[in-house]
Formats: sequence, C-alpha cells, structure tokens
Amino acid sequence: MQIIYTDVLVIGGGLAGQRAAIGARRRGHEAIVLSLVPAKRSHSAAAQGGMQASLGNCLGASGDNEDIHFADTVRGSDWGADQQVVRMFTHIAPKAIRELSAWGVPWNRVQQGTRDITINGQKQRIEESAAAHGLITARNFGGTEKWRACYVSDGTGHAMLYTMSNQAIAAGIPVHDRREALALIHDGERCCGAIVRNLQNGELLAYVAKATCIATGGFGRIYRVSTNAIINEGMGAAIALETGIAQLGNMEAVQFHPTAIVPAGILVTEGCRGDGGLLLDSAGHRFMPDYEPNKMELASRDVVSRRMEQHIAAGHGVKGRFGEHLWLDIRLLGKTHIERNLREVKEICHYFLGIDPVSDLIPVRPAQHYSMGGVRTDHRGQSPQLRGLFAAGEAACWDIHGFNRLGGNSVAETVVAGMVVGDSMADYCDSAEGALQISTTLIEAFGRREQQRLATIANGGSGENAFELTRLMQDTMTENVGIFRHGDKLKHAVDTLATLQQRATNITLRSSARGANPELVAAYRLQRMLKLAQCTAYGALQRTESRGAHYRADYPQRNDGQWLNRTLASWPEADARLPTLGYEKLDIMAMELPPGWRGYGDKDHIAHPDTDLRQREINAALAELGDNADRYQRQRTLMPFNHLLPAHLRGHNERLGDKT
Amino acid sequence: MPQAMSPWPARMDLLQSLSGLLLVLFIWSHMFFESSILLGEDAMYQVSRMFEGEPFFGKPYPLIVSGVGITIFVLVAVHAILALRKFPGNSRQYRLLHQHMGAIRHPDTTLWYAQVATGFCLFFLIPAHLYTVITQPENIGPYASSDRVWSERFWIVYALLLLTVHAHAAIGMYRLFMKWYAPSGVNAKQTRARMKVAMWCILVFFTVLGSASLLTYMRIGYQHTDSVGERYKPATVQDKGH
Amino acid sequence: MNLIATEEGPRTLQISVLRHNPQDTESTPHWQTFELEEAQSMTLFIALNEIRQTMEPSLQFDFVCRAGICGSCGMLVNGRPGLACRTLTRNLPDKITLAPLPGFELIGDLSVNTGKWMRGMSEHLETWIHQHNLEQTDIDRLEERMEPELAEKIYELERCIECGCCIAACGTARMREDFIGAAGLNQIARFRLDPRDERTDADFYTLVGDESGVFGCMTLLGCEDYCPKDLPLAAQIAFLRGRMVAASL
Ligand SMILES: Cc1cc2nc3c(=O)[nH]c(=O)nc-3n(C[C@H](O)[C@H](O)[C@H](O)COP(=O)(O)OP(=O)(O)OC[C@H]3O[C@@H](n4cnc5c(N)ncnc54)[C@H](O)[C@@H]3O)c2cc1C
Ligand code: HEM
Ligand code: HEM
Ligand code: SF4
Ligand code: F3S
Ligand code: FES
Repeated sequence: MQIIYTDVLVIGGGLAGQRAAIGARRRGHEAIVLSLVPAKRSHSAAAQGGMQASLGNCLGASGDNEDIHFADTVRGSDWGADQQVVRMFTHIAPKAIRELSAWGVPWNRVQQGTRDITINGQKQRIEESAAAHGLITARNFGGTEKWRACYVSDGTGHAMLYTMSNQAIAAGIPVHDRREALALIHDGERCCGAIVRNLQNGELLAYVAKATCIATGGFGRIYRVSTNAIINEGMGAAIALETGIAQLGNMEAVQFHPTAIVPAGILVTEGCRGDGGLLLDSAGHRFMPDYEPNKMELASRDVVSRRMEQHIAAGHGVKGRFGEHLWLDIRLLGKTHIERNLREVKEICHYFLGIDPVSDLIPVRPAQHYSMGGVRTDHRGQSPQLRGLFAAGEAACWDIHGFNRLGGNSVAETVVAGMVVGDSMADYCDSAEGALQISTTLIEAFGRREQQRLATIANGGSGENAFELTRLMQDTMTENVGIFRHGDKLKHAVDTLATLQQRATNITLRSSARGANPELVAAYRLQRMLKLAQCTAYGALQRTESRGAHYRADYPQRNDGQWLNRTLASWPEADARLPTLGYEKLDIMAMELPPGWRGYGDKDHIAHPDTDLRQREINAALAELGDNADRYQRQRTLMPFNHLLPAHLRGHNERLGDKT
Repeated sequence: MPQAMSPWPARMDLLQSLSGLLLVLFIWSHMFFESSILLGEDAMYQVSRMFEGEPFFGKPYPLIVSGVGITIFVLVAVHAILALRKFPGNSRQYRLLHQHMGAIRHPDTTLWYAQVATGFCLFFLIPAHLYTVITQPENIGPYASSDRVWSERFWIVYALLLLTVHAHAAIGMYRLFMKWYAPSGVNAKQTRARMKVAMWCILVFFTVLGSASLLTYMRIGYQHTDSVGERYKPATVQDKGH
Repeated sequence: MNLIATEEGPRTLQISVLRHNPQDTESTPHWQTFELEEAQSMTLFIALNEIRQTMEPSLQFDFVCRAGICGSCGMLVNGRPGLACRTLTRNLPDKITLAPLPGFELIGDLSVNTGKWMRGMSEHLETWIHQHNLEQTDIDRLEERMEPELAEKIYELERCIECGCCIAACGTARMREDFIGAAGLNQIARFRLDPRDERTDADFYTLVGDESGVFGCMTLLGCEDYCPKDLPLAAQIAFLRGRMVAASL
C-alpha cells in the first residue's frame, strides 16, 4: 500500500476544506486536499442565495452589525448554538467576505439612486445612498433582522467556490480528486491520517498527516427527497463516528428547506422569497401571513417548512401527479429582476419543469436540505475526543446553527470555519503535540482492515441488494424522521434501520467490475450511512421536546428545563446496532442571550429556571457599565470571546457609518 | 512569469483575415465588372478597356491587367498559405474531425468545413484562371472571353470557380464577422441568425449574377464559333465600318 | 401545466451506451443497449440510475448536483454534448445514444476526467487574481468598491461550470490536444475584465497568444451553441482576439 505523507490532510474540497487548506498552507505547512469529485464540483457550488455577513452597506442593511447577526443566529438556532462560537463567527464573517472580495468573487454591489423592490407583495421605491455605491450589497433572507445575505446573482456558492479553488491552485495545493477517505488512522488518542480509496482504479492508499480535517459536507442523502447533491452521503462524519472515539453532535437536527421543486427536489433559493416572492395554496391564497403575521414568508426555514406541511395537511395543497405541493410565486418580481438576479432559478424551472417563472407558478414542497449536526469540535475546530482530528463546514458541529440554521449562514460558516481551522491546524502542527510518531504497522493494520471489509462485501453475502437497501433507508428516513416527528414513527424508524443494518452485512454484488465498481461503492457507503441515519433517528427519538427543526408532534414545546443541551453520539462497538448517546449541557449562566421567544413560530416553551437568573445578572452588569459604554464593551462584559479568535482576526470590522 | 512570446501568431491570424477580406471585396467587385456583359458587348468592352487604362492614357496597356492579376495572385498565395495551416494536418486529425462532424452535425462547423473544402478547390481553379489573365491580358473582351469560355471549354472551370468562390467568400464574410466581432447581449442569437440569412442572400445573388453572365458568354461564344479569334469592335467603330 | 398535460401511454426507450472500462485489459469499446419504460419527468440522470440499479450495476457515469449546476455530467447525447442531468427524456426520440465526452481522459463508460483537464487549464492560464500585495489585504477595512454593472459582467463570464461541453463541441479541440478551448479563453476574458487582476494584455498574450490559445480558435462556434450555461463565448473570444492582436502590434 502506497503511503503519502503530508502535514495537513483535508478531507473535502468544498469551501470549508479548501479554505482550511489555504490557511495551513499560508502558515508554511504542506497540505493535500482529498475529494470525491473535482473540487469545483463540490456541493458548495450549489449554494444560490447568499452568504451572511453584517456589512451593513445597502439600505436594507444599514445599522447592521455583529450584535444583530449574533442575535438572529442564536434565535434561529432556537438557543441550541454555542454562543461563544456564534460570536466568533459573526465577528469573522465580514472579514471572510472581504477576503473573498479581494480574491475575486464578483459580489453584487450597491447601485446608488432609486430602485423598485417588492416587499410584502407590494412594489416600493427605495433610494440607495451615494456613500454606499460600489460596496457589497445584500438581500433579505429568512429569520434575519436586516438584509444581510451578500450574493452573486443566484450563483453565490459557485462564484465563491471557483474563487476559492483558484486561490488553492495558486497556492499550489494539490487536490487528489476521485479519492474517498474510508477510515481514519488513529491510535485511540490521536488521529494521523486516513485510508483512502482511489475511485478510478479501486486501489487503497494511506495518507499520513499531522493534522486531519474533515470537511466533507452534509449527509442529506440518507433521505429520499433532498436538495443535496448525490455525493452528500456524510462519509466524513461516518468515518469519524467509526473511530468509536470522536463524537457527532446534534445529528437529529436536520433542516428542511421550504422551496424544493416537485418532483425533482431541486432547490430554488430562499432569495426568491427574500426578494419578495410569495407562497400560495391551491386556492391561490397567500397563507403564510395567517400563520406568521410578523415574518410571513421570511420566518426561519424550520417554521416556514412546518407551516407549509401543516397547510397541506389541512387540505390546501395542490394535488398533482407527484403528490401534493404548494406554489411559489415570483411573477410579481418581474422579468428583468428574475433574469438578472434569479437566473439559475429560471434555468432550473425551464429545464426541470418546463415552465417560465416570469409567467408561471413554481410547484414546491419542503425537502431535506441541511444537516446542522456533524463532527463535534471545540471552538478552534478540533475534536475534543480525538487529537489531531479537525472538522469544518457542514460536516462539523462547531455549533453556530444549533437546531436550525439560517439561510446564508452556512456558506459563511464554511469560509469562517476554514479560516479558523486552517490556523488551528497550523498551530497544532507547530506545537510539540503535533509531532508525528506513527508506526507503519499501525498504518498497515488499518489498511488491511479496510481491505478486508471491502473483500467481505465483494465476496460474501446472501443476496441482499445494495441499491435496494439504500432506497429502503431513504424511504424510512423521509417517511418517519421528517418535518413532523412522533415517538411511534421514530421508534419504527430505529427498528427498521436496525434491520437494514443487519441486512446490509449480507449484500451480494452482482458486478465484479474492476476499478471503481459503483455497486461496491454503494454497498460500503450504505453500511456507513445507516449508522448516521441511526444517530439521527435514535437521537430524535430520545429528544422528547421540539426545538428548531426538530419537531415532535407528541412533545410540541421547547423544553429548556430538560433539553437545553447538545446530543453527542458515538459508536464505540463497531457491530452495535445503536449509537451511544451523551448530552452536553448548554450553560445559560454563560450565555449572552438567554433563551426566550424567537420572534416567530410557537410562543410557548418550558423555560429553564436559570433564564431569569441570567437575565437579571445581565441587566445588572449592563446597568453597572452605564450608558457611555460602547457596544463592544457591553458585549465583552456579558460574554468575552476575543481571546478565542486567532490573533490576526481580532480587529474591529470597519463599516460605512463608523465614526472615526 | 511566462516567457515573452512571438507576436507572429497574432499577425498571421490578422493577415489571414485581411487577405481574405480583400479577396472577397475584389471578387465581389470583379463580379460586377465582369457581368457587364449582361448589359451588352459594348459595356463589357468599355469595362475591359478601362482596366487596361485606356481612359487615362489614351491607349490600352494590357500589362496593367497582368499587374493586377499578379497582385491578386500574391494575395491568394499569402491567404492560401496562412489558411492552409488550418487544414487537418494528418490522417489522425482528419479522422477525428470527420468523426466529430458526423456525430455533432453542427451547422457552423459544417460551414467552416465547406470553406476548407472550397478553399482546397480554389487552390487549383484560381491559378488556372489567373494564368490566362496574367499571360494573355489582351485577350479579355466580349469575343475573346466568350471564345475562351465556349470554344476553349473554360466554362467548366468558371462554373466550378463560380460556385466555389462565392460559397467561400460569403461564408468567409459571415465567419469574419463572428471571428472578430460576434454579437453579445440579449439579441446575440438574433443578430447572428440575421447575418446568416445575409450570407445566404449574398451567395444566391452572386451565383445568379455569375450564372447569367457565364451563360451570356457561352451564348456569345457559341454564336461566335465560326469566327474564333476575331476581336470585338465597339459599336462606334462598327458603325464607321458600315 | 405540461407536467399534467401529456397523457399518452409510457414509451419504451432504447438507450445505447458506449461502454469501455480502461481498467480492464479485456474491455474494448462497445455499444450496449438497455430498454426501459419512460416515466414522467424522467431525466437521463433518473434513467441511468435506473439502469444501473436494475440492469447493469457496473455502469459508470458521473452525477453530483443533478441540477445542472456542477458540470459533472457532460456527455454526448445522440452525438451532441450536453448535461445529462437536466436532459428530459421526453425531449428525445425513442432511441437514445449516450457516449462519453470526447477530448478527455476516459475513466470508464460515460465517466471522463474533465476535472483533470480543467485543473491543467487553470494552472496553465493562471486563472486567479494576480495582485502583488494580495496577502496583505486588510480585511478589517471596507472592501474595494466596484461598479455594480462591472460586477455583473464579471459574473456573466464566471458562470462557466467547467462541464467540458464546449471542448467536446469544438472541432479544433478535437484535432489539437493542446488547445485551451472556449472554457480557457473565457477564463482569460473573465480575469482581463476584472480590475483586481493586475495583469496586462501583454501578460495575457504570453498565455494565449499562440495556436494553442486564441489564435488556434477557428470560429467553429460549437462552444457557443452547446454551452449549457449560455455563456457569450463567441463574443468573448472575438473580443479577446482583437485585444491580443492589438497587443502584438
Ligand atoms: C441546493 C443548496 C443550496 C444552498 N444554498 C445556500 C445558500 O444560499 N447559502 C448558504 O449559506 N448555504 C447554502 N447551502 C448550504 C451550503 O451550500 C453547504 O452547507 C456548504 O456549501 C457546505 O460546504 P462544505 O465545504 O462543508 O462541503 P461541500 O461543499 O459539500 O464539500 C464536501 C467535500 O467533501 C468531499 N468528500 C466527501 N466525502 C468524502 C470522502 N469520504 N473522502 C474524500 N472527500 C470527500 C466532497 O468531494 C466535497 O469536495 C445550500 C445547500 C444546498 C444543498
Ligand atoms: C486581376 C485578376 C482577374 C481578372 C482580370 C479577371 C478577369 C475575368 C474575366 C475577364 C472574366 C470573364 C471570362 C474570361 O475572360 O475568361 C472572368 C471570369 C471569372 N473570374 Fe476572373 N479575373 C481575375 C481574377 C479572378 C479571381 C482571383 C477569381 C476568383 C477567386 C476570379 C473568378 C472568376 C469567375 C468565377 C469567373 C466566371 C464568371 C462568371 O461565371 O460569370 N477571377 N474573370
Ligand atoms: C487558393 C485559394 C484559397 C484557399 C486554399 C483558401 C483557404 C481558406 C481556408 C482553409 C480558410 C479557413 C481558415 C480558417 O478558418 O481559419 C479560408 C478563409 C477565408 N477565405 Fe480563403 N482560401 C482561398 C482563396 C480565397 C479567396 C479567393 C477568397 C476571397 C474570395 C477567400 C476568402 C476567405 C475569407 C474571407 C476567409 C475567412 C478568413 C478568416 O477566417 O480569417 N479565400 N480560406
Ligand atoms: S464554457 Fe460553457 S460549455 Fe464550456 S465548460 Fe464552461 S459551462 Fe461548459
Ligand atoms: S468551437 Fe472551437 S474553434 Fe473556437 S469558436 Fe469555439 S473554440
Ligand atoms: S450533475 Fe451537476 S450538472 Fe449534471
């Protein structure tokens, strides 16, 4: 088995992975990026709508700053997020966007003068200031106070990923694409690389590294109906889980996006609603204001998705050949706006539905979209359990999203986390701890183990079909672990998944094709995906409350008293049928923003006794500071975080309105 | 940083297009002059005398025509040498190209191929014509030309030349437009479609015009079979003879 | 809506795939035909997966986003390059042939290494912002301003998804392996437009001023006609050609 040595191994060539690699490379460390597909084809390219960063340039964004972004994000997360990390995130996001801007992303810019926009179904005329002309503009997104989603037409992720990849190429970072990490090499305490399969010729290789970063994106494909790319099978999270040591956080927190087209499940961006699009039912009635009079179509995704399903269940869905759906109406935005700012949407409607959104309604229904859960890390992106293992992006649970992510916060997270983790890995490599002492025997042992696993699949079995089992898993998840969850259904899902796990050990391949062998790939991935699915279903079954995207019809209230915590799943016994769950308490007394109502969604929740306590503490601290303290001082008093940031990212972000 | 590169690829590309453009302009005007035969033998006679410089010098100097012929020949040679670089260089390329065109059946690629093919034919036809023009400049005129066309069977060369050169020229102009300008913006597709229509119109126009004149030369030549070699006397001179 | 309007009985599609596994020394290129019942809203992505799952598990092809965004699934559909994931079978005849994109290294069956080609192109043309003090950019400060219209123009060219259709559609690229194709020329046009890139036309000339670059292009326009993202390739190449000639004079 060939062994490749490097300082930093980044598994995943999306935005998060490449940014982390660039960070480490800039600090003088050798970095290699692994990817299932050419880096520019990673799913980050699919992000359409925007990236959140509180630049506050355009009119709708004026007055925006880190504080408001922070509050929006924490509310969006239904208080599941790690507030210190959210602070780090909102502080770095403007820097991330400015860096990308310098690197070449053609962000849409503020055009001074008057312009017509659509708000709440009405045309309005607004005027952008001359001072802001040419700075990065932003659009409105769900669950936010301000217009904060910076965008590049509706190809934001594409433009970001291409710029990022180009910078990685400029830095000479090799991307070993069409290679899949199958297992992490570790000695029980320290991770030192991965066993990797070459997807072109089927060979196994070992990559040995001081620091290994998982940036493999989401795992939406454990569901049947998902907006995710078909490579989003969560293999990064799965191999971390399979170490038996590293833990995955909040796997039950799965987001469903309100507007996936029916039946293909392809996303049309939240920008459609942000720019003024409406949701209509079979009678052509705009129903969101009935449920959410404040934010209407622009409540957070979990809320809008739930309301849509609720409305369909109440008999207002449009009956079509592929089941029921609702309508997204962007006709009112007008042809020019659509062809300029929602071009991909128009293309998708044209090619997959044969309609023109300028004159037709778009059939939509919520679909699985984002995994808030992932490899649990500390604030610098390292696994607390397994040294040398880092994670960034959607694959990680760094935890800025808690139980629901806000639109636009994800691509922002990928880049911000990439910046932080790249630095952490460099620090780690530089430290004494980072020195690599690993025996080739250990590497060979891992290699043999994986070889053995593949051989078992290739040669054995009693007739089970990998593709069919995958479909069963996906159906189980979509039907039982969806938007509305219930104890009985979850129990059913857990049992079914356990049976499928059993059956998955008996897969027989029909093809023995040399090289990649797609059937073999499906088989070994299935075994791992089932574990992720089980973490999701079992975690959801255990969590007897509703929080963010995790909604239990049988426990409809958020229960801070009992459940203000983060689920941690691990899989210590390879052959076990269920993960081992633990819970990490979220300490209200350390929060800057104690739990409360989100401003949308249901109002009743079961409060934690600490909430009032903390609120009083905060009020007292602020009162003591007096009115002269600026917002930075006030923030620092409540929850200092500056010391957690990499030193070079600590400066204040300049804004237009700043007094200098 | 990359090393400095030769400016010649750029110049050759420009030269190829410029030579092509000049040749097109030449052949289009050539067609008008040469089809003066449609207006009668006299008109054609006047035009040919004009090119021999009679109106300027008082008497015809056929060598002027030879001179122009040589210039055109040089232009054609330059153009052909530059353009020949684009021919498939070896059998592998040739095979790949044909495979490609067969599969994709893409109109503009086919147009280009038509230009290459016509260019290849022109490589033989033009020298045949220019040879007579350069070596016998004095033998241009209503009867001399018609005799050549009919009695010397040059109509075969001309018929082929007519079709190939106009296809080559009209396609060439459309392709020059796309090569150096190419419309963009919302109406790009429409503009291009219009240019293509224009191309076909021009092609048809010159083919019809050329065919008509060629037929006229053939008719005159046929009627003149018995007195091959006789030179045309313009009407004024003929009148004096009566 | 036409989803509901088509009420004929389902067709049986005959899908012929050009198969070859270079990993297998015994494999030679051959056509294999699959019969399959057409479903509503069926795309080639759905059809190929159905074939793989129910008939031929070893069939190789690449899909990632299945939404026409990532550029993975370029292939020849009835001889013409296109994105398979967004090709609806209802727009195709009963008999469909699928072949890998020519001009790229074959991985197996319909899967080709466009990624490798594109990375090579990127390295060769240095498709990134060249600015001498890029690493010193102060990201705490307000970003550099840019005219809104210019930003949109740059994005217009940035939309390339590196699918390789323009290369497969280009006769020149078929004949000359070193030709950087419309995808490459478009990249140069994109960075030329970008004020953040300090390179001059003379610099760009050193990258594309020869027969493997802009002067190799013979204006065949297959690129323009088959680019699934409708990039204004012909106009960009024409413009670039002019600029490069100007730079050489
Ligand atoms: C349709 C859609 C639209 C979206 N729009 C927005 C938006 O507008 N705004 C926003 O903020 N967010 C959006 N998101 C979410 C956001 O795009 C993603 O969360 C984010 O891009 C994930 O980036 P990443 O770098 O973590 O992972 P990805 O970009 O998914 O990259 C994962 C990488 O890991 C590699 N990989 C995976 N497994 C392995 C393995 N085993 N071995 C080797 N390599 C491996 C893959 O090849 C890939 O390179 C959207 C998501 C979807 C699905
Ligand atoms: C200075 C150069 C040229 C001169 C003086 C000239 C002159 C003539 C004349 C006088 C004729 C009438 C027939 C004859 O006399 O043989 C003729 C016919 C023709 N020439 Fe030329 N020619 C020249 C160059 C060319 C070139 C370069 C081309 C093509 C590329 C060309 C294409 C033709 C064609 C196609 C005809 C037939 C016309 C018809 O069908 O009506 N000529 N030319
Ligand atoms: C021996 C004679 C000729 C040969 C072999 C020849 C060959 C060619 C070829 C192969 C091309 C295509 C080149 C490319 O696509 O890059 C071409 C282009 C062209 N030819 Fe000719 N040609 C000949 C004569 C002529 C004549 C007589 C004319 C004018 C009537 C002409 C006008 C053009 C034009 C306008 C173009 C387009 C130029 C360009 O693409 O840059 N050619 N020729
Ligand atoms: S230019 Fe168009 S056809 Fe070529 S690679 Fe880019 S998107 Fe594909
Ligand atoms: S098809 Fe090829 S030859 Fe030029 S115009 Fe397009 S690159
Ligand atoms: S699969 Fe991404 S473009 Fe077709």
